[in-house]
Amino acid sequence: MKRKDLRKLIIVVSLVTALAVVVPLMSGCLGAPAAAPPEAPPEVAPPVEAPPEVAPPEAPPEAPKTITAKIGFLAPLTGPVAGWGLPGLYGDYIWVEHFNAEGGITLSDGTQVLAEMVPYDNEYITEKALTGAKKLVLEDEVVLVQMLGGATAAAAVPFMTDQMMISTTLLPSDLTPSTLYHLAPIEVCPFYNVTGVEWLALNKPELKTFAQVAQDDELGRPGMAAMNASAEAAGLEVVYWELFDPETTDFAPIVSKMIASGADILSWGISYPDYVNLLTFEAYNQGYEGQLHSCTLDFYDAVIEKTSVEFMEGFIWQFPDFDDPAMQEPLNPYRLIEPAVFWDDYQAAYPGTWSAVSWEYQAQLDEWMMAVKAADSIDPMKVFAAWKHPKENNIYHAFGEGTWWGKPFWGIDNAFMAPWPVVEMQNGKAVIVEFRDQLDWWERNKETMVQWNMDLGEMWWQRMGIDIESGIKMWGLEEEFGYLLEE
Amino acid sequence: MELALQQALNGALLSVFYAVMAIGFTLIFGVMGIVNLAHGELYMVGAYVVWLTYAQGILPFPLAVLAGAGIVAGIGIGMERALFRPMRGNVLMGAILSVGMIFILQVFVATTWHVGLMKNIPPAIKGSVEMFGAIAPWQRLVVIPSAVALIGGLWWFLRRTKQGQALRAVAQDPEAATLQGISIDRVGIIAMAIAAALAGVAGGLMAPIMRVDPYMGHTALIMALMVTIVGGLGSIEGALVASFIYGFLVAFVTGYFPKEIASPATMAIIIGALLMFIMLAVRPRGILGRGT
Repeated sequence: MKRKDLRKLIIVVSLVTALAVVVPLMSGCLGAPAAAPPEAPPEVAPPVEAPPEVAPPEAPPEAPKTITAKIGFLAPLTGPVAGWGLPGLYGDYIWVEHFNAEGGITLSDGTQVLAEMVPYDNEYITEKALTGAKKLVLEDEVVLVQMLGGATAAAAVPFMTDQMMISTTLLPSDLTPSTLYHLAPIEVCPFYNVTGVEWLALNKPELKTFAQVAQDDELGRPGMAAMNASAEAAGLEVVYWELFDPETTDFAPIVSKMIASGADILSWGISYPDYVNLLTFEAYNQGYEGQLHSCTLDFYDAVIEKTSVEFMEGFIWQFPDFDDPAMQEPLNPYRLIEPAVFWDDYQAAYPGTWSAVSWEYQAQLDEWMMAVKAADSIDPMKVFAAWKHPKENNIYHAFGEGTWWGKPFWGIDNAFMAPWPVVEMQNGKAVIVEFRDQLDWWERNKETMVQWNMDLGEMWWQRMGIDIESGIKMWGLEEEFGYLLEE
Repeated sequence: MELALQQALNGALLSVFYAVMAIGFTLIFGVMGIVNLAHGELYMVGAYVVWLTYAQGILPFPLAVLAGAGIVAGIGIGMERALFRPMRGNVLMGAILSVGMIFILQVFVATTWHVGLMKNIPPAIKGSVEMFGAIAPWQRLVVIPSAVALIGGLWWFLRRTKQGQALRAVAQDPEAATLQGISIDRVGIIAMAIAAALAGVAGGLMAPIMRVDPYMGHTALIMALMVTIVGGLGSIEGALVASFIYGFLVAFVTGYFPKEIASPATMAIIIGALLMFIMLAVRPRGILGRGT
């Protein structure tokens, strides 16, 4: 090659390489949330001290102290699971705006506590989740870390447990006896999915068979177990189920198989929001006329646009719109924002982004707020202790009175259980048709639930990679799980 | 039987999509000796143009797809002029430069229109029709005549026009073509424009069906690569044959592979890759590729 050509080559390669490196750095390729957060609360004013040689006749009253409780948000803000992260952050921003506008919390010593969200996009990647947890806890000194959960929780929670930091999740399938400070204070996915399937069996007795698909990951597998268990317990025959590759782009062959199974109910399980959209569209495309079911149905206006109001009529899922009349009841008398007000604020600030999680993270903050008041502190461990005593401290679930539960299933009582709504599509709108009791279902069907979870490797000892006998002995869970050793 | 017919229809529809993608990919290699690994991103840009124009109500669907083809063709011409022309014949350098283009296009799209929730694109034609015992959605059926028209048009261009014959001449023997007075630079531009336009059209047509996000191109590229290698690098006819093999392979493996053993969709990709490796080992020039 001639020298001139070589020089040209080097220049071109350098230019392209530089662009490939510089552009991502400049553009912040992590992807920032669309909306800016509310303004940060004012800095704490330093106390005024008199010079030592001058003794004032009277000590002036100390200016009231204001501190900022930083709340970490460690969830996917970009990527295929962003639908279960980013809208939740939006909801948190609205909550923080209301909280700060109302003066936050005043502790007994006069300290005013305001709040600030500190988000970190983990893209639902485990390595990023751990990096984010370290940054939030060690650099940002947050007092609470909100997470989506799943694989990212498995990566980050051990570190946060070591740091004695409270973390919250939407997926109690994260919970094991070792996740001491990891709480599922609102969503108890996939547990509440038993309510929708059972509702279908009770209210539409003509439906006899059930088919389910979901992506093969820490979100899809527990949902597969829970919904299949619920179907079986309700007398439905599970005629087909499949965990598909999370990288699937064409859902036509998958939906074809489901329809060919002849199932009366097609369920998308806990598939990602985008996948629910595409699966539903494929069912519509392939002329399906039966019952549809899913855990979530995010951005359902977009799904209706691709299909029709008639096709979507009767779709059953588990997440309400907050302008639903049933939500206006005083389910949580201590909530910061009335549901209809929250709905209106959200629609105004973030139109077209309402999803299953838009209200959930901020509902966790309602509970956190009450725990802070009860603890009279923002110290994580004090707040944690207060949080675990809801009755004494007026801590309500978004859907009513809650109970900390979980030892009989996850080996630890860190899931806050309350009745969960079953939602039906009626004339293009989500409508709550009933609140059903999850613990009542558990009492009637626990063996079926445990068996399906064991079959899919989703019981807590299996997720921890230990044998059941060791796990039971290690955490003294003979009463809850000893019966499995006898079988 | 019904499932078999449905999967056969699914396979046929996938095949034409693969064909449009793979023919563009192989055209660039055949004429310019360049492996354009950013071909998937050109497909992605085509999908985004449809989202920006059709989904926002600015253009009707056919015009939106054509707009996508035009814009992506323009990007392709820019790539040929700035990146590939100096590297013509140098497969490795061309591939490296195209990798840089992958990042540029992905980051530009991700930064401008954000990542996260997929871009929702309503179908141009709703509903479906029964065909041979299977249900065919109109939105997917539209791909077939579009692809047939494109491939037919390309065939006519290559066989019946002077520029097309020039393209084929350069693909066969660039030196001899130069001696005949054919401008390699102009032929390169035409080939790149056609190939990019094909990717843009594929993206536009599939946008209402697939998940539209900045990273949607890599799966399409993987399939295009496998189809091209099995069909024969530089062979349009080979790409056509291989695309049908792969379309039906993916549909039937996804439809029938026992899920107890492994995820059927994953196995479809693995089997496709194995087929490619076997072809490389046994018959490196592919089904209808030129011997070298």
